[in-house]
Amino acid sequence: VMRLTKPTLFTNIPVTCEERDLPGNLFNQLMKDDPSTVKGAETLMLGEMLTLPQNFGNIFLGETFSSYISVHNDSSQVVKDILVKADLQTSSQRLNLSASSAAVAELKPDCCIDDVIHHEVKEIGTHILVCAVSYTTQTGEKMYFRKFFKFQVLKPLDVKTKFYNAETDEVFLEAQIQNITTSPMFMEKVSLEPSMMYNVAELNTVDTAGESESTFGARTYLQPMDTRQYLYCLKPKQEFAEKAGVIKGVTVIGKLDIVWKTNLGERGRLQTSQLQRMAPGYGDVRLSLETIPDTVNLEEPFDITCKITNCSERTMDLVLEMCNTNSIHWCGVSGRQLGKLHPSSSLHLALTLLSSVQGLQSVSGLRLTDTFLKRTYEYDDIAQVCVVSSEIKQS
Amino acid sequence: SNAKDAKSTSDEDDSRDIVQQKTQEEILFHEETIDLGGDEFESEGNETVSEDSNNFVDKLNEQMMESVIISDSPNNSEDDTGELGCLQEIVDQMEAKDNQKTQTEVDKEEILSNESETEHEETPKDISEIGTDDQASLKEESIQEAVKEEPMLGNNIPVETKPNNIDESTPEDQVLSPSTTKPSSEAEPIPVCTIFSQANNASSQPQLFLPDGFEPQMVKSPSFSSIIETPVKSNPQVVQPSPSLSKFFGDTVNTNTLASDFFDSFTTSNFISVSNPNASSSVPEQMSSLSNGGDGSSSNPTFPVQNGRPEAGGPPSTLEITQSPKPFSQIQAVFAGSDDPFATALNMSELDRRNDAWIPSEETRNVLISVATQQYSAVFIDKENLTMPGLKFDNIQGDAVKDLMLRFLGEQAAVKRQVLNVNSVEQSFVGLKQLISSKNWRAAVDLCGRLLTAHGQGYKKSGLPASHTTDSLQLWFVRLALLVKLNLFQNAEMEFEPFGNLDQPDLYYEYYPNVYPGRKGSMVPFSMRILHAELPQYLGNPQESLDRLHSMKIICAKILENLEQGLAEDGSMTNITQENRQASVQLWRSRLGRVMYSMANCLLMMKDYVLAVDAYHSVIKYYPHQEPQLLSGIGRIFLQIGDIKTAEKYFQDVEKVTHKLDGLQSQIMVLMNRAFLHLGQNNFAEAHRFFTEILRIDSSNAVANNNAAVCLLYLGKLKDSLRQLEGMVQQDPQHYLHESVLFNLTTMYELESSRSMQKKQALLEAVAIKEGDSFNTQCLKLG
Repeated sequence: VMRLTKPTLFTNIPVTCEERDLPGNLFNQLMKDDPSTVKGAETLMLGEMLTLPQNFGNIFLGETFSSYISVHNDSSQVVKDILVKADLQTSSQRLNLSASSAAVAELKPDCCIDDVIHHEVKEIGTHILVCAVSYTTQTGEKMYFRKFFKFQVLKPLDVKTKFYNAETDEVFLEAQIQNITTSPMFMEKVSLEPSMMYNVAELNTVDTAGESESTFGARTYLQPMDTRQYLYCLKPKQEFAEKAGVIKGVTVIGKLDIVWKTNLGERGRLQTSQLQRMAPGYGDVRLSLETIPDTVNLEEPFDITCKITNCSERTMDLVLEMCNTNSIHWCGVSGRQLGKLHPSSSLHLALTLLSSVQGLQSVSGLRLTDTFLKRTYEYDDIAQVCVVSSEIKQS
Repeated sequence: SNAKDAKSTSDEDDSRDIVQQKTQEEILFHEETIDLGGDEFESEGNETVSEDSNNFVDKLNEQMMESVIISDSPNNSEDDTGELGCLQEIVDQMEAKDNQKTQTEVDKEEILSNESETEHEETPKDISEIGTDDQASLKEESIQEAVKEEPMLGNNIPVETKPNNIDESTPEDQVLSPSTTKPSSEAEPIPVCTIFSQANNASSQPQLFLPDGFEPQMVKSPSFSSIIETPVKSNPQVVQPSPSLSKFFGDTVNTNTLASDFFDSFTTSNFISVSNPNASSSVPEQMSSLSNGGDGSSSNPTFPVQNGRPEAGGPPSTLEITQSPKPFSQIQAVFAGSDDPFATALNMSELDRRNDAWIPSEETRNVLISVATQQYSAVFIDKENLTMPGLKFDNIQGDAVKDLMLRFLGEQAAVKRQVLNVNSVEQSFVGLKQLISSKNWRAAVDLCGRLLTAHGQGYKKSGLPASHTTDSLQLWFVRLALLVKLNLFQNAEMEFEPFGNLDQPDLYYEYYPNVYPGRKGSMVPFSMRILHAELPQYLGNPQESLDRLHSMKIICAKILENLEQGLAEDGSMTNITQENRQASVQLWRSRLGRVMYSMANCLLMMKDYVLAVDAYHSVIKYYPHQEPQLLSGIGRIFLQIGDIKTAEKYFQDVEKVTHKLDGLQSQIMVLMNRAFLHLGQNNFAEAHRFFTEILRIDSSNAVANNNAAVCLLYLGKLKDSLRQLEGMVQQDPQHYLHESVLFNLTTMYELESSRSMQKKQALLEAVAIKEGDSFNTQCLKLG
């Protein structure tokens, strides 16, 4: 039995000399004669000669375990009815990997039965490859022997995630993926498979002159212990965004699907478990800003649009109060009735205000009172706006 | 283990029974999963626990194996107890251990199957057997653990509590064996599987509290349905880097062992007495006589260099001539020339200037200037600034092939092995070249050593003053280059050490105005600088290599700049004809290219692929004719990383470039690249097709031959693959007895049969006929 990891390329050590040196062209000729060098470019270290794997190496979760199983008749007798069975015992299950379960009628001396097995490794920890061979000798004796090959499956990646909730319903997911193997790893694909409630936009490329360029630049691979940071923007789908109550508490965002390749295209694939996030609590009534100018003139009124959403389970009857702060002055009637608001429904509200102080000002001072429960909700620091004097703005 | 075997015979019947059932009826029993533990370990002869004790819990032991396995330290792969030998072992040392192992194992099994003719139908009993077996195995495991010093706290506990564990049994098992499992599971309080929980806590906690707000995520294979929520975190330290081939073929030659012994015998050898009557006199004496002015104070930290010395021309020159028989004939020429000032002027040819040009550091330059200006007074130079090399070890001569033959094929066979050795060739450059081209590099290293000894730079002469000539430095270069070729990097480094950064004043011709009148530049061959720069990377210090290469690059660039500005290479105002200037630019451009090549190779070794690719790109600028090869090489780098798409892009570029030139070589290159691409796509069949196609064009292509054979193996055709490799080795042993080919061949022999030894020995015989003493015997894996 031999594990078939991908072969490696033979590297040679170039030693050159110049014609005027003592050995003349001897060294160069030796390198030319060496079959492992690249003809015409002998100094190139990386040759073309394939060499078989020299040891078991490491195997990582998500990779494919390939192994050559060869049953060779070392004896001088013909044996009959050979049955070769290869099982993989993991910590939770036992899998049969043999391609065929049919017995081979006979095996002559010095002949062999070959089988190449493949198995995508799905568990971490100890695996035991159990190769069982049964056969009948010429004298009709039934023989049976087994061999065990133990190997450890290691974890190739470390994935950490972080969520950012935007003022809008968007969620930004930051994912750090670290290569904890010992070899460089080419990340073929890292994508976020969103759950049914979300649409996802990958933010890992930058558009430059019509061509999207990876934020990771030319470095397409991860060195051992290197970490890469991926960013995704998730937007709730329209139908779920409407119903504000749905996205509440712990929600499933989706899962990361990671495909990588190592030496000569050895492939591995992993998925994270479902990523969950705690949606920010909005209380019973959520007030979010729909529109607001970024820069306004000093002491000039401007308009903002708010959206008020009833996140509770009951109908509310809301009254809006507007309290002026040091800098923010609301225009219009305070204490106005907004009417009844049913659960999961929302209303849009246009408001006018002006600022009496320059600089970055925080919009605060909105109060909503539910007349049914006599409960008041305060909304401060809803947004910020830059206030400039009118001359500056004109110029 | 025999004793234990005997003890276990009573149990064996039963468990063997399972084996029988399995093979004959393909087992319907769910216990199939269980019995794993059973006879596997039993056959190791670890049967100890009495069976009745745990009867009722045995059903629960199905997982026992599993739990044990998980608790198992990830390091365990090195156990070589019994059949549990891991794959690694198999690959690495198949013949060594498995040979006997399988032997015994098969024997044992034979006995087993003979005995167990009787049919047992009592499954419960069987199960109980298994249970106990498991326990036995478990104990054994824990013993192994202990030995391995894994800090496994639960080591003993699991052994005790294991029988009670029912959690985690595979769904299958639970469904299939409800009657057996349930009663006991209800009856017994269930201790937690300690190993599991411990492992989890230990590994996951530190991660949870990472301050950066990132949460660790479970990763699992997408197609994995039965969730195993056991984030047994793999221990990073456990990860063992797979050694590269070069490491695998690391040097094993014990360098310094007999150095002094040899030296003693060496001084009394024929060579010395015949050709070098002065060699017996100690070096200081030689030196003093050489420098004639009689400074002679070798212990003095500063050495006056008397430029007046060769004024008394005769003695030193004759001395040197007598001292060194042939290799120093060139010196004779120089001295002959020195009689006539005009001749010496002519001696300083264009070619010399062009080749030897080098820009010394400021400090060295000052020393050289003072040597030149103070013609008749001694210049005192710090000892540290002088180059005082000497052989650091003697006699690495030896023939590993012969040693192996003695060991495996007997004395008679070994006698037949005839290779050139240091005594069988002329003690001169001619003999040296003979040894090199016949691949007797070890002998060649020794011969260099002898010739250097003749030059007063022999064993133990390091740190003693020495005078340098073109030839002595060339000899050093050859010796060191061969050491590198033999992968004896440490030795090379040791002997390189006295040379410092190859910029000491006494390594310049200007330092010896009377020996080399008018000649300028460095005695150090450019290739020796390259060698010196490349060496640290093989010793695990690629950064140092890069530093050295960068300073070489700067000087090369400076020289080119000087040439462009109408100056001589070293920046002096010398008239150079247009033709010579052109030739010089060409030479130095190619040297700069060579430096870039080394840098690229070094970066590749550092696995800094992005920079390596950039460097190879810049090499193309200097060696445009190597463009297709280099582009292919870059493509292969990307293949190695796993970036198949980019590799493909480069291969396409190669096809574009080679499109213009047709010819066999480029055709092969294109096919080779396509084959590699298929390899990257896991399509070994297609890859094999392309390699075979190359063979149709060029049947002697060793690479294609070897690679096609490798593909065959991956296609499950071991015999075909072997046939191809064997055929190729037999067909043209001169070329195909390459270590990579032989390595593949022996690996396949090991896979093929546990009796691979004979075939390997046959290879050894073939090697013995064709290869010199520099052959790396490790690839034969004769252990």
